[in-house]
Amino acid sequence: MRRRLIFFRFLAYFGALFVAVASGALYFFIISRGLPVLGGRLFFGDTPPLAAILGLRPVWDGIWPAFAGTFCLVLLTMLLAALPGIGCGIYLARFAEGRVRERLSFAVDLLAGVPSIVMGLFGFVLILLLRHTIAPQATTSISLAAFCLALLVMPALVVTTRSSLESLPPMLELTGASLGFSENQILRRLLLPAAARGILGGVILSMGRAAEDTAVIMLTGVVVNSGLPAGLAAKFEALPFLIYYTAAQYADESELLRGFGASLVLLLLSAFLTGGAWLCQRGMERRWKGIR
Amino acid sequence: MENCAEIRGLRVSFNNEEVLHGISADIPREGISVLIGRSGSGKTTLLRALNRLNENFHGYSGSGEVRLFIEGGMKSIYGGGAPELTAIRRRVGMVFQNPNPLPLSLKKNITLPLELTLGLRRAEAEERMEKSLREVGLWDEVKERLNRHAASFSGGQQQRICLARALALEPDILLLDEPTASLDKKSAELIEALLAELRRAIPLLMVSHSLAQARRLGARFFVMSEGRIVSRVEAESLPDGGEAEPFLEALL
Repeated sequence: MRRRLIFFRFLAYFGALFVAVASGALYFFIISRGLPVLGGRLFFGDTPPLAAILGLRPVWDGIWPAFAGTFCLVLLTMLLAALPGIGCGIYLARFAEGRVRERLSFAVDLLAGVPSIVMGLFGFVLILLLRHTIAPQATTSISLAAFCLALLVMPALVVTTRSSLESLPPMLELTGASLGFSENQILRRLLLPAAARGILGGVILSMGRAAEDTAVIMLTGVVVNSGLPAGLAAKFEALPFLIYYTAAQYADESELLRGFGASLVLLLLSAFLTGGAWLCQRGMERRWKGIR
Repeated sequence: MENCAEIRGLRVSFNNEEVLHGISADIPREGISVLIGRSGSGKTTLLRALNRLNENFHGYSGSGEVRLFIEGGMKSIYGGGAPELTAIRRRVGMVFQNPNPLPLSLKKNITLPLELTLGLRRAEAEERMEKSLREVGLWDEVKERLNRHAASFSGGQQQRICLARALALEPDILLLDEPTASLDKKSAELIEALLAELRRAIPLLMVSHSLAQARRLGARFFVMSEGRIVSRVEAESLPDGGEAEPFLEALL
């Protein structure tokens, strides 16, 4: 018995150490390579920053368009995925019964298992289909990419929403009911706020996934050089694709360094989105709990 | 004597297993009525039938009639013509065995139900909160800590918060499901003293695990066994002194 305890303790400590060292090494690597080039030049090249940010002048050797592209792509993806993903999670946790629940859960699990390259292929075929039928002008674009990414991240949202609702203590609902709350009030004023932290976990996971995925966007509208995204039907640039492309065919040392700079920027963008979501959730939780 | 509840042929099952087998009883408005019985005899289920909370459990089905004195008259709470479910539960307060504060601050625990179910504005709700916290003798202890998490208070205080929360809604009947079972002796005595005060103002129906407590507080006792009420005893008809508890014990 005691020996087993020691074994599990060792396993736990080893796991913790492994994760700490591995992520530490990764951050160290990216920061040490990327930090020296991080600056205005990395983003805007020789273009004046204000003109570049406003899109007045094109940026040739900076990552600003890719940064803006990824930012827009993540926002668009979350706009498309959040409502149906969280909604489906609530449905599965609270309303679905019997067969429907089983089948829908299965469908979500299946969707979670779809590789991103297959999702990209799906988007590509979807556009071909549209071109041959109702929309001959349709082409790959940022909205198609966001749609496919939304499908890709949806399962994470569904599963985290569902499991954080289902893991709430049953007493919470019973208390609300005994006080005369309507079903709607129980859900909106008690259960959802109590599960918000878990749901946020799903949102963060999804944003990270949408920011980093390359396979989907490669087939659905990302290009090497398009400038800032010009609209929902426009092509776009994206950081992960830029990194991938740079790694595959950089011409000189400075281009490679720009790739590392882009990696660091992608990491920072993820951290920024995560931090924003966290602050947002903490504010909501404080207001809900009324704790000062 | 006027009744606060009249139960006729009440049957309750969960997953097709009958738990209450046709209960009929009249519960007077005066004094505390106490349900006693061994565990599993259906006391809690009977209590929950009076605010229809059984319906929140999986596999519920039930039949029979329950009429309660709420909103100024006797009203049937099951079937067509019954008041809305949320209205019934608002009029029939409940205190559970374990303190069950919402995971919110003390203040919000009491004001949120007032705002949501009665539509009170914040200022009114806070006034009522103070009143009900004074009623349960908690105001002076907690007035500086209203914005603290309700779970940060002691078990006894939490149970009094829950009592205050129920009272703030100004119910017509208060159901108590072993309200002192999870508390230490001192906190239990405090709650008992509160209930002894409250019985003058509002009909109380209590499940009690302790015959000593039942005897101290109860005006009458409904003895339950295997999903039936097997006898009803008035407090006056109990033998004096130390004889009373063995007498009740023998009925279980």
